[in-house]
Amino acid sequence: MSFEVQAAAIGIAGATVGLTAMAARLTSWQARRRAVEEVGTSAGEPYILYFTTQECSICRTHQEPALRKLEATVKKVDAIAEAELAKRYSIYTVPSTVVVRGDGTTAEVNYGYAPAEKLRRQLAAAGFTSAA
Amino acid sequence: MAERVGIVDHSALKVNQAGIILTVLVAFVGSAFSSWFELLIPALAVVMLLGTWRPDLALFKQFYFKFLKPRGIVKPRPLEDSPTPHNFAQGLGGVFVVIASVLLPFSLVLGLAVSLLVAVLAFINLAFNYCVGCQVYFLLGRTGVLKQA
Repeated sequence: MSFEVQAAAIGIAGATVGLTAMAARLTSWQARRRAVEEVGTSAGEPYILYFTTQECSICRTHQEPALRKLEATVKKVDAIAEAELAKRYSIYTVPSTVVVRGDGTTAEVNYGYAPAEKLRRQLAAAGFTSAA
Repeated sequence: MAERVGIVDHSALKVNQAGIILTVLVAFVGSAFSSWFELLIPALAVVMLLGTWRPDLALFKQFYFKFLKPRGIVKPRPLEDSPTPHNFAQGLGGVFVVIASVLLPFSLVLGLAVSLLVAVLAFINLAFNYCVGCQVYFLLGRTGVLKQA
């Protein structure tokens, strides 16, 4: 019994998945590089840009309760209404959260749900001092 | 395409994904021994597309609702969610399985490769809760291809 066909199919599927994952990672990396720029705030404490939409139910059921646990300022952004801002961070997924340093540069971009603990760590790394 | 927010039992989605993965794996391994196993791929396409069109005809979900859930084998996990992106993802997967079915008679390798891709995406959703089809749905909504209320 020859398994060459199966091996070839695994190879093609694996290569496709691998290339797609690499492309996604590259896109994410480029988005982070592009995002390292001023967002129009003066120097201060790090804060979070929270991208959501009206229809995003997981935002309400998961992300917002997690954000309420944080002491940092959270700026809620409608990803559809603020399309330019969403484009700047390559936001195609809601919820997404962006941890912005006090000097306005981007520290982290989280695509998808981000737990409170993760955001707390990112805020601390970005220089947030009031965290519990 | 109207966006409906309601209660979605995510256990039903998980069982559906597991069913897709299992069917593709059986077809994939079985195809090494008999070409009859390849028929599982078009059968899966029919199941997925029927389930997208009429959720009450979704075989794996109905197996969950009628057998697994009443017996407590799989516990329900109802969440406030919109079923539309999940249905879209299943339909998209179904289209890819149709493509795999069409490819199978001409190129077994390509047909199986496309089927495996669908199984891998279902596995990513099952294991990591990352629904690639849902992301495509949101992306199409953002670019205006799909109208989302």
